[in-house]
Amino acid sequence: MNWKKFFIAFIAAFVFIFVFGFLWYGKFMHDIHNEVPVLWRTEADFGSHLPWLVLGHVVMAFFLTMLYACFVPTGGAAAGAKLGILVALVYAGADLITFAVQPLTTKILCGWIVGDLIQFAIAGAMIGAIYKPRSPTTT
Amino acid sequence: MKRFVIAFIAAFIFIFFWGWLYNGVLLKDVFAQAQSLFRPREEIMGLFHWIAIGQAGLALSFVMIYASGFAGGGIAAGVRLGIMLEILAVSARCTIYATQPFPAKLLVLVSIGGFIEMIVTGVIVGAIYKPKSNA
Repeated sequence: MNWKKFFIAFIAAFVFIFVFGFLWYGKFMHDIHNEVPVLWRTEADFGSHLPWLVLGHVVMAFFLTMLYACFVPTGGAAAGAKLGILVALVYAGADLITFAVQPLTTKILCGWIVGDLIQFAIAGAMIGAIYKPRSPTTT
Repeated sequence: MKRFVIAFIAAFIFIFFWGWLYNGVLLKDVFAQAQSLFRPREEIMGLFHWIAIGQAGLALSFVMIYASGFAGGGIAAGVRLGIMLEILAVSARCTIYATQPFPAKLLVLVSIGGFIEMIVTGVIVGAIYKPKSNA
């Protein structure tokens, strides 16, 4: 494992996921989410739970990078994007289950699935572009 | 391809029954404590096919990731993939906890069930799927 490149890829993925999440889920989907206000914490309550949001994004970026490092150590951006899309499909499966049990609108469901696909495809591509395994030492 | 399909079907069947047993039966009372965040039971039954489709998508994605990068690694690699994917799911639950008023106990119990589900799915997929040998 090339830990220096791993760390840089993880930080880049975290920054992207955090900013994208804020823009997509927090801004772009704000009014769509508010069609079902009963589901969400109040602004003040959300503020006091913000560390959980940051922690979630840190863990998400770290293990996406870890998955890439184990999965496609020499693959590059395209392979990273492919991994990201496959991970997004896992999330999409969970989104469909959530839709069946929680009173989400179809607009929220579609927004989450599209958001997952964009977020993980780009984050995966960034990780793939940055992370390179340590090259074997030649004698 | 044949083993891919068998691994997918076996994983889907396990995820379906584990989801029913753990979330539908064992955690029934815990879910009832957050009833306001869920659809009424009759409504959930009307949308039940989305649960099955979601679980099939999850099983398919798992096998596709395994077949793309972990093939040949056997059960240990399947378990490793399962643990990593469940940690990613836990990270999503942290963001859900920040935005939705779920009781922490519920999310912890769902995550414990998720780890069991993904580890066993990894065992099933790792035991069944074998890449086509080049020889």
